[in-house]
Amino acid sequence: MTTFDLLLQQTINGLSLGAMYSLLALGFTLVYGILELINFSHFNVFMIGSFVALFVLEAFGLSGQEVILTGLPLAGVLLAAFLITMVFCGGLGVLVERITLRPLRNVKGPAAMITSIGVSYILFNVILLTVGADSKNFPNPMPAIRWQIEGATLDFRVVLIWAIALLLMAALYMFVQRSRIGKAMRATAQDAEAARMMGVEVDKVIVMAFFLGSALAGAGGLIFGLYYNFTSFIIGFTAGLRAFTAAVLGGIGNVPGAMVGGVLIGLIEAMGGQFIATAWTDVIIFSILVLVLVFKPAGLFGRIAPNKS
Amino acid sequence: MTRREAALACIAVLAAAVVGPPARAADKLVKIGINLSLTGADAEGAARIRNGFMMAIDGANEGNGIPGYKIEPLILDDGTATAGQYDPAQAATNARKMVSDRDVVGALGPEMSGSGKAMAPILSQGSLAIITPTSTNPDISDPKFAQQYRPAGKPIYFRTVTTDAYQGPHMANFYADVLKVKSVYILDDSGAYGVGMADAFEKQAGKKGIKILGRDRLDPKAADYTAILTKIKSMNPDAIYYGGVSQAGVKLAKQAYDIVPKMIKGGGDGVVSPQMLTAVGNPANEGWYGTRASPHVSGDQKAQQFVDAYFRKYNIAADDYTITAYDAGLVLIDAIKRVAATGKPMTREAVRDALQTSKVPTIQGVVSFDENGDLKDRTVSVFQIQQDKSARPDDVSRQYHYIGVAPQS
Repeated sequence: MTTFDLLLQQTINGLSLGAMYSLLALGFTLVYGILELINFSHFNVFMIGSFVALFVLEAFGLSGQEVILTGLPLAGVLLAAFLITMVFCGGLGVLVERITLRPLRNVKGPAAMITSIGVSYILFNVILLTVGADSKNFPNPMPAIRWQIEGATLDFRVVLIWAIALLLMAALYMFVQRSRIGKAMRATAQDAEAARMMGVEVDKVIVMAFFLGSALAGAGGLIFGLYYNFTSFIIGFTAGLRAFTAAVLGGIGNVPGAMVGGVLIGLIEAMGGQFIATAWTDVIIFSILVLVLVFKPAGLFGRIAPNKS
Repeated sequence: MTRREAALACIAVLAAAVVGPPARAADKLVKIGINLSLTGADAEGAARIRNGFMMAIDGANEGNGIPGYKIEPLILDDGTATAGQYDPAQAATNARKMVSDRDVVGALGPEMSGSGKAMAPILSQGSLAIITPTSTNPDISDPKFAQQYRPAGKPIYFRTVTTDAYQGPHMANFYADVLKVKSVYILDDSGAYGVGMADAFEKQAGKKGIKILGRDRLDPKAADYTAILTKIKSMNPDAIYYGGVSQAGVKLAKQAYDIVPKMIKGGGDGVVSPQMLTAVGNPANEGWYGTRASPHVSGDQKAQQFVDAYFRKYNIAADDYTITAYDAGLVLIDAIKRVAATGKPMTREAVRDALQTSKVPTIQGVVSFDENGDLKDRTVSVFQIQQDKSARPDDVSRQYHYIGVAPQS
């Protein structure tokens, strides 16, 4: 492999990782933009998403890597899996908000954030105790089609994963920009009090933010499973922390920022593994978090947070 | 409680006393501490090992193996949910629990070297000897690190397996002599065991003239190893050697199959586990080499009897480390028995000294220890995953094909 091939291959690796981080980062950003709350339960909503997806695929008779689907059946199964996983995770996010975070809405200080850490641990342990601690083999129904681009290899499933992630992000962006409730979300993000005075139902907006963010985390969990063909109760923390870094890098609260931040973190992880060492990945990524917070606290694309003046 | 209920309760207690096991009131109670990683990624292996210990303990209790004494296990778990696998901090806490219980005269475990490193200094201060059936990191019993791991002086960390000081290097010999590997890339999983294995392998591989193209460390909690595997692909070594346990191993095997499917891949006893079979799946795991730091004994008759009895009792298949676990139990019980026979007080110090002079016939052969507590027999066995469709997919003893004894240095 030439250096060019290597760069190309690592870019492909990085983009796949980045797609996942972006989906996850969006959940942090949506909620932060509106509530100024870092929602740590998001980590494990993502993890639960991968398990829901696993059960859905198994219910379709897929297990391990033996069953390969093509054409319409593949599209149908994937569509159903994404829908069920996203609705389930969206519902879970709303439930978390309703039960644990809404009662704390008017409590000042870090109470809500700490509660979200607690919820995160509850979700984590529920899966550990019910599903077990061992890694699970995640079905991969996608055919093993591969293209050689120069010296690099591009898998069909990787392209499919990128396409799905892009589609979801584009849909979210359009929703936030164009739809009525999207506009209400942006209005609430700018100034919750004024939005309320203009007749925006802030509670509804918050529920929507949790639903969308958690649904995307669920999609991220499914994509994680399809890409790595495994899942385990432990996957939420590392991916979640890196996605959080991506959200901060892009400017927390900023939707396009989270997408770009996710891709950047994915690329940094891949290139760091190539040119420095995999062992240093966390050092590199979290140094970026610190540097961003110190020198450009608003992130690359500007932070958007509720106006509390 | 009404009078009627109280009467019923009395009857129940009396009935239990009559029907229950015959109480041997005269027997003195001794406890054996057991520490394993019963929660987390290595739980399956831990359960097998615990069963192996319990076969030995139950055997002694039922057969009145130590006249005048009854053995009670004190089972502790060093796996935690936050670590997702063994947690050295929890292992240290468990070691303190054992030491503070005066009835505990000997201990069995731990499964993991990372736990062993945390426990050893505490056990040493408490003069409590432990026999591990699986943990193979050499530092714990190495006199060079005596200050750290046995501050009180005498060896307390005994093993019924050999150490990575042999497991890693013997596998390097196997790579060089049998597989004719000329260049290798080495990975570890950042744990005490994994790093030690990879270090020991690296040193001997260098001596055997294998070119070391690089060395990197995997984060067992991270999911993505494609970056490092792509780097390895570009360097094109003949083989990969991985020092570590299954949490990172599962992901490594899956992704390596996508990126470097034809490369020779192998590791130590950390990759000989049901997880490598079920969570990785065939064909991704096909051809992986692994080692065990013990002789492969499933062939002979004594071993077969044990394996059958074990299956009848627990309904899961025993493997080589179930046997080393059973053997560890036998060796500790033998030491307690010898102390009991002298009529001297049953103390930890006496049990430790008795262990040092052990010469116990077990399934794997006669177990005796060198001056550091290491097993005198240094056999390392090599296995390879070769799918056997007629057996259960998670059956370690059938899906891993015995290749032979790794060449000794």
